[in-house]
Amino acid sequence: MTIVPIVVAAPLLTAALIALAGKWLPHVVADAAGLAVTGLSLALASVLLARTSARLITYWFGGWRPRAGSFPVGIGWAVDRLGAGFALLVTCLLFAALAYSWRTMTEEHYLFVALLIVFGAAMAGFVLSGDIFNMFVFFELMSVAAFVLTAYQAEEASPLQGAFNFAVSNTLGAFLVLTGIALLYGRTGRLNLAAIGQTLTNQGRHDGLVAAAFALITCGFLVKAALVPFHFWLADAHATAPAPVCVLFSGVMVEVGIFAVARIYWTVFDGVLGEFQSPIRDVLLGVGVVTAVLGAVMAGAQRHLKRLLAYSTIAHAGCFMIGVALLTPDALGGVAAYIVAHAFAKGALFLCGGVLLTRFGEVDELLLHGSGRALPVSAIAWFAGALALASPPFLGTFTGHALIDDTASTMGYWWVPVVLAFATIGSTAAIVRAGLRVYAGAGDPDDPLLADEPGEAPPPQERASLGLMQAIALVLALAGLGVGAWTGLATRAVEAAYTFTDRISYAAVVLDHRALPPPPPETWHTTAASVAWAVVTLVGSAAVGAASVYRNRFPEPLTRALGAALAPLHAVHSGNIGDYVAWLVLGTGIVGGLLAVSVHGVL
Amino acid sequence: MTILPYLLAVWIFLVGLVGIVTSRNLIHLTVCVSICQSATYILLLAIGYKSHGTAPVFADIPTSRKVVDPVVQSLTLTDIVVAVAVSALLLALALKVFEAEGSLDPAEIAELKG
Repeated sequence: MTIVPIVVAAPLLTAALIALAGKWLPHVVADAAGLAVTGLSLALASVLLARTSARLITYWFGGWRPRAGSFPVGIGWAVDRLGAGFALLVTCLLFAALAYSWRTMTEEHYLFVALLIVFGAAMAGFVLSGDIFNMFVFFELMSVAAFVLTAYQAEEASPLQGAFNFAVSNTLGAFLVLTGIALLYGRTGRLNLAAIGQTLTNQGRHDGLVAAAFALITCGFLVKAALVPFHFWLADAHATAPAPVCVLFSGVMVEVGIFAVARIYWTVFDGVLGEFQSPIRDVLLGVGVVTAVLGAVMAGAQRHLKRLLAYSTIAHAGCFMIGVALLTPDALGGVAAYIVAHAFAKGALFLCGGVLLTRFGEVDELLLHGSGRALPVSAIAWFAGALALASPPFLGTFTGHALIDDTASTMGYWWVPVVLAFATIGSTAAIVRAGLRVYAGAGDPDDPLLADEPGEAPPPQERASLGLMQAIALVLALAGLGVGAWTGLATRAVEAAYTFTDRISYAAVVLDHRALPPPPPETWHTTAASVAWAVVTLVGSAAVGAASVYRNRFPEPLTRALGAALAPLHAVHSGNIGDYVAWLVLGTGIVGGLLAVSVHGVL
Repeated sequence: MTILPYLLAVWIFLVGLVGIVTSRNLIHLTVCVSICQSATYILLLAIGYKSHGTAPVFADIPTSRKVVDPVVQSLTLTDIVVAVAVSALLLALALKVFEAEGSLDPAEIAELKG
């Protein structure tokens, strides 16, 4: 009896039952059922994580195991350590989101619970799957659930606009992925990741078709990962979705896109495109750098707290991409540790935003100036979350940053730590600035550099418990800080990344049922450079954040120049779906074109 | 096997994209998304096509008979199911937008900016 499919099947089944019977049940039953099944998934994902320490667990639906060397007919899952860890992270955040929304929504609350569970289960299924079309189906399932969750407060115009932009952008991204899948199937006749990779490598042809498939699948997943210029939907969706939904959006959904790019590259394309690693690395690094810088700059110019956090997520997504783009197990392990710390910290910050919205009916930094003094627990959670994201020495995102920085420096990319530090300082300073204004009443309630933003209607709340909501935010923030202190997490992530990036062993386990060779044992090395960068980002975030609350008192020529520099960026984020799709097409042309050209060896 | 179906798939995808980018009506935009998705059906079916192959249903034909690839057909069916869900959702959102704003023009309802 294997537990692998139950992690996903049990929540999907429970969600269906809640949706069917919820109308006739008291709210508390739907909440309790949701929490119970998520707790079960959480426990099972933990067991999977423990069991994958030295092996890859395969599961074939209906028992359709492939015989060695023959055509793999069945749909298979292949659970490795990074996949199991990701599924565990998803269930942890889902549990927090469900606990936070305990008895909060009055209308049709059971449907909200059911949708959240489907959303989480689809993400878990996506990261556990070893079949490219199965991944596509889970990708669409998670997307559709996410679109509905964004528009959950459907009486207002802005959630509808956010959901519409989100839905159209991500659906087009999914079409790009599907087109790439179709091309791969046409070439190899396989849908299993390991089998496609093996066939492509044996054929050894890296022609236009393989290049196009790689470019299309990568660009399609970059839409979900919210990298420039595919990122426009993210801020709109995050600004309008309910806070507990944002926890999952920022904490894991965007990262699913990053995970997908890494998974597909290493299982499918690493063999056939291995000799073009260097140009592929440069293209992906470029995308990551532009995203990290743009997200940090835009976060500094937002007064809507959830939109500010959304741009901070874009900055961090750029940093994740930089780590993946280095295409080494060490950096990938760093990204995994970074994602865990970021997910908890950013989740805490979004929940603090949700508490403000519930208490004051407002998430505008300037209008809330000083009001947060009434919520001391939220204030602690907010600043603990900000501290975790500032990458202070041995806390929060530090281990992830250190691994990426050290790997990049060793490879000669000396500027990667600079970009990571810029993105971290820019995005965290914005969080510190907003926190100082809202929770401490510091500085001026006026800022010449902030965008105009319409207010957000408060969610209908009747029996919401602010105490419980704040406690969950605080727990998440402390978890985000704490995982950075546990350097064992980072070393285990690197070991897991060695297995993740070992295409040949992956294929041998999945297709020929061989045993997995143990990864090289890792130990944690702290370098002076990484601690120095951590001090820089910590001090920089605090100093820039504290100075930003007095931007009203900056010399006027300076603020006018900065405002003029920001104006085109604001104009580009127009909120119009037609513009977003035009950017998506342009981005696919540029990124896809560069990837395709680099595979042909012209660059 | 001719290259024509592949060119047709690319053409339909591009037509759909142009429609989305220039659309001034959310329902029109939803139809354009469906048009883009139709391109993926054609691509999938073209990949599985075999000349002189028949439908892969072996109830009344010998198993030795040449048939088109059934895998891409089931992928297309799955794809259609996804399309139904997405279209239904987009149309429901468009309806809600009209109820809230009295307009279906994406440029007029754009409240989120910057």
